[in-house]
Amino acid sequence: MTYACSHCPLENMASVSELYDVGWEEMRDKLRKWREDNSRNSEQIVDVGEELISDHASKLGDDVWIIYEQVMIAALDCSRDDLALTCLQELRKQFPDSHRVKRLTGMRLEALERYDEANKHYDAILEDDPTNTAARKRKISILKAQGKNGEAIRELNEYLEQFVGDQEAWHELSELYINEHDYGKAAFCLEELMMTNPHNHLYCEQYAEVKYTQGGLENLELSRKYFSQALRLNNRNMRALFGLYMGSGRSKTFASVSPQAGLDTEQQAF
Amino acid sequence: MGEVELSCRAYVKMYLHACLFPRCSVNGLLLSSSSSAGGAVCVTDCVPLLHSHLSLAPITQLALTQVDVWCSQTQQRIVGYYQANACTSDSSPTPCALKIADKIAEQFDGAVLLMLDGSKMSPDYRVPPIVMYERKDSRWTLKDKHTIMLRQWEEIRDVASQMLDSGDHSLLVDFDSHLDDITRDWTNQKLNSKIAELCSPVNGNI
Repeated sequence: MTYACSHCPLENMASVSELYDVGWEEMRDKLRKWREDNSRNSEQIVDVGEELISDHASKLGDDVWIIYEQVMIAALDCSRDDLALTCLQELRKQFPDSHRVKRLTGMRLEALERYDEANKHYDAILEDDPTNTAARKRKISILKAQGKNGEAIRELNEYLEQFVGDQEAWHELSELYINEHDYGKAAFCLEELMMTNPHNHLYCEQYAEVKYTQGGLENLELSRKYFSQALRLNNRNMRALFGLYMGSGRSKTFASVSPQAGLDTEQQAF
Repeated sequence: MGEVELSCRAYVKMYLHACLFPRCSVNGLLLSSSSSAGGAVCVTDCVPLLHSHLSLAPITQLALTQVDVWCSQTQQRIVGYYQANACTSDSSPTPCALKIADKIAEQFDGAVLLMLDGSKMSPDYRVPPIVMYERKDSRWTLKDKHTIMLRQWEEIRDVASQMLDSGDHSLLVDFDSHLDDITRDWTNQKLNSKIAELCSPVNGNI
């Protein structure tokens, strides 16, 4: 969903450094932290990054290039094509033949919904380097953006046959299957993730939710087991706690919490 | 079927919910505090529910149950369901939207299904970016636009834009956020007060 807000021109707003009383080093470090955490707080990245590169680019040394990339992607996320283009042009000047920059060019075209042109860029990268996973994933993202979930699923399955250890891809596939209501296959993806990440409470909890949704006595048993497992791994996971409560209620045909009896049938049929 | 009126509070919260999670599909419940008179439904409030895994059952059921209990304590009832899809090019109801709306319709005859049209959500849009469905002959059909009322639309639109620009949408708590931090209030009392301040009291059904 494109961001609907109008962006205030920077001249009318206090600068980030004034508002938060920070120097350029702190801004640079904050950007690094967000990179490492892979957080998608694009509005903040744009606010901090834009000021950093316009006022302090010369002090950043070699860091400036990765910051340009980070700010460019965040700018695309906020519909700030002006800023994205500025960053992209700097990167193109510095790295004229880079696949990584070519991918960014493709992403900008995606943001402008020029999907055919974007695909051409990614195909060119793949011709040069068939193992380039980033380009393949972007092509799948385009399918998703166009609402072609079926094709996206097919392509992602093919990708995973080659790159079976890609956790991000397995999770993306589970999300796509959930959106298509194909809970069996979503469960399979989450099983893969749980095998390789046995201590991740979120995967256990999501798996339990999928099992609960599939319904039937066996699946409810499994969902209770995995909600419990999620709670063992993290006893503050509220979804797991509630899920366990609700699952136990259903298995025992416990009286509904709600005063409206109608909701009982809703529980059965959902 | 009868008329449906959307209050300022309900519209603004739905709009802010969609803006808070622009990359996700979001959904929520529509509530009414007045008993329907002559088939007319007045949506006075809404409860934002989820922004992830809309089609998974346990959390949706939990939320429906909790909202239901809250409604019976506050003389409100669930009269509809709203959803905004992540993919702005497609604002048609998903299977899970239809399922949940069906459940609501079992409890309330004049239930409505509201889809937010992402492609029409910009601050200066002249018509409300909503598509409403009603239940006719066991199917959800498009509601006649003339039976949907949003009093003082321009004012409501401006309130929504103003709150978005000043970052108030980050105050909104949906059920998902409540589960991430159980202390956060999914009934959004604080936000309701802010909206009430901005909406003119003339818009009676705040």
